[in-house]
Amino acid sequence: MTEILQILVSGCVQGVIYALIAFGYNLTFSTSKTINFSLGNVLMLGGVVGFSLYVDRATGQLLGYPYLVPIIGVLVAGVIAGWVVHKFAVEPSLKLKSEYTWVLATLAMGIIIKNAVEQIWSTGDYRFPSPLGDDPIRIFGAGIYPQEILAVVVATAMVFGIEAFKRYTIYGKAIQAVSEDKETASLMGIPQQQVVKVSFMLSATIATVGGLLVAPWTFVSATMGTSLGTKAYVVAIIGGLESGFGLVVGGLILGISEFVTARYISSGYKELPGFIILILVILIKPSGLFGKKTIKKV
Amino acid sequence: MRLSVVLSFLLAVSLIGCTKKSEDTIKVGVFGPFTGGSAPMGVSMRNGVQIAIDEINASGGVLGKKIQMVDRDDEAKNERGGQIMQEFLDKENVVAVLGPINTGVADASTQYPNQKKVPMIINVSAGAKVNELFKTNPENYVFRIAANDDIQSKVIVGEAMKRGYKKPALLCDDTNYGQNGREKMEGVLKSLNVKPVYIGKFKLKDTDMSAQLQEAKAAGADVLLVYGIGPELAAISNSMSRIGWNPEMIGSWTLAMSNYITNAGKNGNGTKMPQTFIEQAASTPKQKKFVEDYKAKFKESPIASAVSAAQGYDSMYLLKNAIQQANSTEGKKIKEALENFNAPYEGVTGTYAKPFSTTDHEAVKETNVMLGEVKDGIVIQATTPTKK
Repeated sequence: MTEILQILVSGCVQGVIYALIAFGYNLTFSTSKTINFSLGNVLMLGGVVGFSLYVDRATGQLLGYPYLVPIIGVLVAGVIAGWVVHKFAVEPSLKLKSEYTWVLATLAMGIIIKNAVEQIWSTGDYRFPSPLGDDPIRIFGAGIYPQEILAVVVATAMVFGIEAFKRYTIYGKAIQAVSEDKETASLMGIPQQQVVKVSFMLSATIATVGGLLVAPWTFVSATMGTSLGTKAYVVAIIGGLESGFGLVVGGLILGISEFVTARYISSGYKELPGFIILILVILIKPSGLFGKKTIKKV
Repeated sequence: MRLSVVLSFLLAVSLIGCTKKSEDTIKVGVFGPFTGGSAPMGVSMRNGVQIAIDEINASGGVLGKKIQMVDRDDEAKNERGGQIMQEFLDKENVVAVLGPINTGVADASTQYPNQKKVPMIINVSAGAKVNELFKTNPENYVFRIAANDDIQSKVIVGEAMKRGYKKPALLCDDTNYGQNGREKMEGVLKSLNVKPVYIGKFKLKDTDMSAQLQEAKAAGADVLLVYGIGPELAAISNSMSRIGWNPEMIGSWTLAMSNYITNAGKNGNGTKMPQTFIEQAASTPKQKKFVEDYKAKFKESPIASAVSAAQGYDSMYLLKNAIQQANSTEGKKIKEALENFNAPYEGVTGTYAKPFSTTDHEAVKETNVMLGEVKDGIVIQATTPTKK
């Protein structure tokens, strides 16, 4: 019982993080039909910036700043990273006739971010002490880190917050209008370019915050975002790129399947079910498990 | 980007500079991972070699010539091993090669020294094939000064048995290194008629091992035998604390890496591993001087990977002694000198009377190995070296 609970806890935490990053993909996709493939590395940037403002790399000791400093740091880093990716990778690509240049451009941006961090910062793995302590809390015997609870709470709040922002504020409605029909939105006086730009900044900020949240248990390194970024994309495809609810379900499916497989089948096949589901979804329902529902709803 | 252009230009200039003065120096190729998860081992090894070279050059060099290090970063990538080796042998014309760290990289590179008849002393990689190469290359140019996986798995399993454990669980990473270690540990266990109750693996960069640990726990394991590198081994220790299960953990020598010790924090306490050198237990004047020199030169204490540093240092001295004895820098003659030392060498990792022979290219034997234990951020000696 404890064991199943532990698997569910670990799987759900992982799943919610996947969902959060997948939400970052969803945001830019809904406004501009583009995906920021550098999001995994933007997440890493968040982890690294947060770490640099909180921990002394050489000694592993805290610098003594309050946790608010790294929080502000990653928010700023996210906004800047989003702006840069949009300005230099996406905007020029969208102006070109070739439709999918942004795929390579954002991938390249991710590689540049990773290499820059390796050159300027370090290639090592570092421990990020959680502000809430590194001892697990026991709930019915299953261990969960306080940081994981924080991550789940913040991630869920961000997902719901952004959904609410999109539905109930004038700016959010502008985003929805652009995602529905760019030309009409422009005619109605919505600055389409601005909306796309803001969606990139918001999406990158989600990723950098995600990086700060996961850092205490993934370690901080230049490669920390690579696999998270890929898996979140898998989640986005499984759940449906345009459905907020689908992303959460997709995240949980992937997260829990990984832990169940590692425990009951073989740790070597941990990632297999997720990718099998991905292929099945692409074959059977390419818009994702919850893809169509939201299209009708909007 | 501009910076890297400038850097590569500088590198190119310095390379041109090097080739010019190659006649009055003896070039030694050194390669290992200087970036990435294995970097603490690679950098420490290079630093150890550097200390040896500086000492040798300060006392007049060898055969009247200074030794010059040519170092390359293999990034722990297998294919880089072969590329670097070709560069060393065809372009740089090194006299001998020291390194590398990672098993896959070493195995991808050892064919070249045998083809070109240039000796190579593997100074960290425990899994690479060395004596196995005699089958295909009766004139084998590959040597090793490091506790190989055979010795390590014997020590690891032996320690577990000595402590009275009967139900070991094996947890190893899925690289050449981890899987080689798993195979060797299984072999030793089989020879003792012990069957592991659980065999699991994990990938590099995995951070939550609780699923594997739970399976091991459910299988009734009483001791955890692990093989991998620092960050992932730390993730194992952290996940053990998460699920509240604390069996003793014994594993590969990499548990002494700084990125295991800092990342595992207090969860790493009590972990045991075979070591050829323990910084905190440095007792001979030679060992103490080495630790002090390292600290003074590289401003690092404790050493990120003390074993790598010590083995790097000793590998350079074994090579220097062989060159001196051969009175030549010709590969074949150095090899023969290595196989037939006429004077013992007292090094940091032990005293080597006749480290190599024509049929055995392994310098480190079980007697050179002691057991280290992690305690509050440093590695201490757990037991004295076992005497045969």
